[in-house]
Amino acid sequence: MKKYRITVNGKTYEVEVEELGKENTVSKATTTSPKKVMPQPKVEKPKTVAKPSEPKQESKPEKTETKSVPQGAETIKAPMPGTILDIKVNENDRVKEGEVLVILEAMKMENEIVAPRDGKVVSINVTKGQAVNAQDPLVSLE
Amino acid sequence: MANEKIEQLRASIEKIKLGGGPEKIEKQHKRGKYTARERIDMLLDEGSFVEIDAFVKHRCTNFGLDKKEIPGEGVVTGYGTIDGRLVYVFAQDFTVMGGSLGEMHAAKIGKIMDMALKTGAPVIGLNDSGGARIQEGVDALAGYGRIFYKNSIGSGVIPQISVIMGPCAGGAVYSPALTDFIFMVKNTSKMFITGPQVIKTVTGEDVSAEELGGAMTHNRVSGVAHFVDENEEETLNRVRRLLSFLPSNNLEEPPVIETGDDINRMDDKLNEIVPENPNKPYDMKEIITSISDNGEFLEVQPYFAQNIITGFIRLNGKSIGVIANQPRFLAGCLNIDAADKASRFIRTCDAYNIPILNLVDVPGFLPGTDQEYGGIIRHGAKMLYAYSEATVPKVTLITRKAYGGSYLAMCSKDMGADMVLAWPNAEIAVMGPEGAANIIFKREIKNSEDPITTRAEKIKEYRDTVANPYVAASRGFVDSIIEPKESRPRIINAFDMLASKRENRPAKKHGNMPL
Repeated sequence: MKKYRITVNGKTYEVEVEELGKENTVSKATTTSPKKVMPQPKVEKPKTVAKPSEPKQESKPEKTETKSVPQGAETIKAPMPGTILDIKVNENDRVKEGEVLVILEAMKMENEIVAPRDGKVVSINVTKGQAVNAQDPLVSLE
Repeated sequence: MANEKIEQLRASIEKIKLGGGPEKIEKQHKRGKYTARERIDMLLDEGSFVEIDAFVKHRCTNFGLDKKEIPGEGVVTGYGTIDGRLVYVFAQDFTVMGGSLGEMHAAKIGKIMDMALKTGAPVIGLNDSGGARIQEGVDALAGYGRIFYKNSIGSGVIPQISVIMGPCAGGAVYSPALTDFIFMVKNTSKMFITGPQVIKTVTGEDVSAEELGGAMTHNRVSGVAHFVDENEEETLNRVRRLLSFLPSNNLEEPPVIETGDDINRMDDKLNEIVPENPNKPYDMKEIITSISDNGEFLEVQPYFAQNIITGFIRLNGKSIGVIANQPRFLAGCLNIDAADKASRFIRTCDAYNIPILNLVDVPGFLPGTDQEYGGIIRHGAKMLYAYSEATVPKVTLITRKAYGGSYLAMCSKDMGADMVLAWPNAEIAVMGPEGAANIIFKREIKNSEDPITTRAEKIKEYRDTVANPYVAASRGFVDSIIEPKESRPRIINAFDMLASKRENRPAKKHGNMPL
């Protein structure tokens, strides 16, 4: 604590000045930091909360598994993330090698996903407008 | 007396030629495989093969091996011609102790590699071997080591070609891996470091030999191999075809073959090939075959990283390496595999004095965590390095998109292209019009009463002002804007002009390419 005498326009003021050292600012930071810390347990909480939702995530692959049908069927997967712009085939359609199955818009390009071989479409795992990730199953061929 | 000696010689040659004997030969045939000698005859010009080291014998006395005769040491070596040009060849003989590699087997291979390096001629290895001859222990290992060493020393001096025509497992895979090109045959050839049984015991993973290291695995998935064919004849024919694009060594030019195709031939089809809508794909291979002499194109790694195309064509009879984006696959963007494939090919061309043609339609690098975690920065840098390092004539033709870092990675003017041509529909910019308009005109679009229309207007404004070839041409980054149909004559003309190109690099031990 320091005392100063300051004269302004002939009037004298006595002023006490307290220096806020680094310790103080640190203590201030620590006083605010609990606030910052506060959300952390909150963040952690959803993690524990997320547990019940895990079965949901598990159930999702199950769905696709049931969709991606029988053994021996070949699943055509998305080569990169994008949006399904169009589906050119229906279930049970017979397709020839090189025939377009799905149009996947990605990298601002309408990518034609073609049949790698002749076969029958046994399941379509996506819908128009759906966003897909790389390696997501698109169509299964038998 | 003299006749007796001659008879003796004839008899021993006959015996060596029979390799593992009629039974083993029949077994080999039943597997759909030819013998080492049959393969050499198919590969080389008729009657040109001269064998050396037929009488070499091993020196191993372990495990009763001293009592075992191993005709030719399980490998046939020598030289001959392909299209009249000298080549050296070794063919492992699976009928003789499974083609296993021992000390003297390796020495035979090493000898012809040394001769090839001295005379400046390609080496072709026909691999069909069970692996190291275990009885010989560390001597066999030393044999592999010497071959790897010679492979590395000869790399970039003489073309080295590996043809996998049977098993090639363990350390044996690394000699092919060090050579310039690997050919595989469907169903019969296999390559892996550790076989299915080892994998099963170590990781519990169940995988068949074909799935693990078959021809399609290495051609499609791993990128280890460069070519695949249905059978051995087709494979060996393709080896001959590849050699017609390569010089015999790094001091020679590749052979010029008269093709009879008119150098001034134009193709109206090219004026129409790129769709109006920039989001529509087209087949870049049609452009390559339209430009090349007689539509000939020997694609290298046709199944691996199909978003980039690599291969050899002829222009005015001269061998040219093509690197081209393929909009039909992964939108033609660059990713880790594409960068590896392209940079390897660029360096192969540069090493063997083959000029490079780049056909560019690239929207960018593939986004995603797997790309970033996989080190796309490191892999993409290889392309920049390889193009900058290459001193052969480099011509770039931009057919549509050339955006951002990928524009540079496809050999822009500043990366060392000697001549950059562009079609009038080319879009050369830092990024695509959509993305750029969203950033530059963010406020205008947000504050607009009709954001969708405003956005569309701004995209058009950006495209008209920046995303065209004229801005780049006004700075000299594009040397010439051409009509698509005149691509062939203009490219041939550019390569002719560049034929005497000379470019020196500072002397150094070697650069430090990001690997």
